[in-house]
Amino acid sequence: MFSRRLGIRVPSLLEGSLLLQILLVVGLWLGADGFVHITGLPVPGGLVGLIAALALLASRRLSVRSLRRGSQFFIGHMVLFFLPAVLAVLDHRELMSVLGCKVLLVIVAGTAAVMVVTALVVDLCTRAKGVR
Amino acid sequence: MELRALWHGPALATLSWSAATIAAYLCARAVHRRWRRASPPPLVTSSLALLAAAIVLHTSYHEYILATGWLLILLGPATVAFAVPIFEHRALIVRHWAALALGMVAGSLTSMVSAWALATLLGVDEQLRLSLLARSLSTPFAMEVSNTIGGAADLTALFVIATGLVGATLGELMLACLPIRSALARGALLGLGAHGMGTAKAHEVGGEEGTIAGLTMVLTGLLNVLAAPLIGAYARLL
Repeated sequence: MFSRRLGIRVPSLLEGSLLLQILLVVGLWLGADGFVHITGLPVPGGLVGLIAALALLASRRLSVRSLRRGSQFFIGHMVLFFLPAVLAVLDHRELMSVLGCKVLLVIVAGTAAVMVVTALVVDLCTRAKGVR
Repeated sequence: MELRALWHGPALATLSWSAATIAAYLCARAVHRRWRRASPPPLVTSSLALLAAAIVLHTSYHEYILATGWLLILLGPATVAFAVPIFEHRALIVRHWAALALGMVAGSLTSMVSAWALATLLGVDEQLRLSLLARSLSTPFAMEVSNTIGGAADLTALFVIATGLVGATLGELMLACLPIRSALARGALLGLGAHGMGTAKAHEVGGEEGTIAGLTMVLTGLLNVLAAPLIGAYARLL
């Protein structure tokens, strides 16, 4: 009886608290990152954490509701986490010249190419499937 | 004099630069929400403000990143967070795994080949060229791949952000121009072309698009990390 009551209360506490969910996401990542460091796997810890979280969700050890708000927090504020990397420009003033324009041209044209190719391939595949 | 020393103390620098970065982000976001169409993306306005502050205060990138690096580290938990939308749309993914896999391989190849070819054409040197290869991936993956293939990770991080900004704008144009029928293709276009920022844009377009964008972004990252040793060896041969 006691364990059952505990089993209900802990998840509902988690489901109601954004802070706990944020800590859970960070905890999952910390565990995965530690694992990657120990084993020397050549992948980022975040990826292993993602797979671990998917496994926990799929095996029903963790409900979607106990992770959803924390997940939305991290995905919604991703721009903030990128932001410090922009200041690397300070160390690369050489990009504030013709070279920077060239690099920008590569990025614009390359990104357009990636988008056209990806969208065409995926769209044609799904259409082919729809016809069959 | 003493005040200046205090400013440069590690604890205070961490506190003040972190607070400044978060404040710049929140202000830029509030402004963008208020005047949606008329204002530039929050990343542009907030980073320009921070750049100006760093230049005025004679802060180097090294000092700045020492103080705010923990924010960059949070991209790790952000990657973990994608488990939720992926899990919620698992049926969609299982149904279309082949189309998605083909799209991811084709998109990744296009990304690297186009960067290499264009950069060579324009006479960009090898270090920069290698740093450009991983630009379409999400930051944590891109830095990993860049390290493996011999690029400069901090340059790659910059190019990743430039790609995200360019791609979010370009992606909107593409969605309007290309005759795309499926939400799947719209999501893949944004996820592969503009990683995190494309995914944010895709979530604005629709839930299905957002999920596919997040999924293709993460899986393409994985694909490239695994293929990186091969790509590096091949790039050195060229």
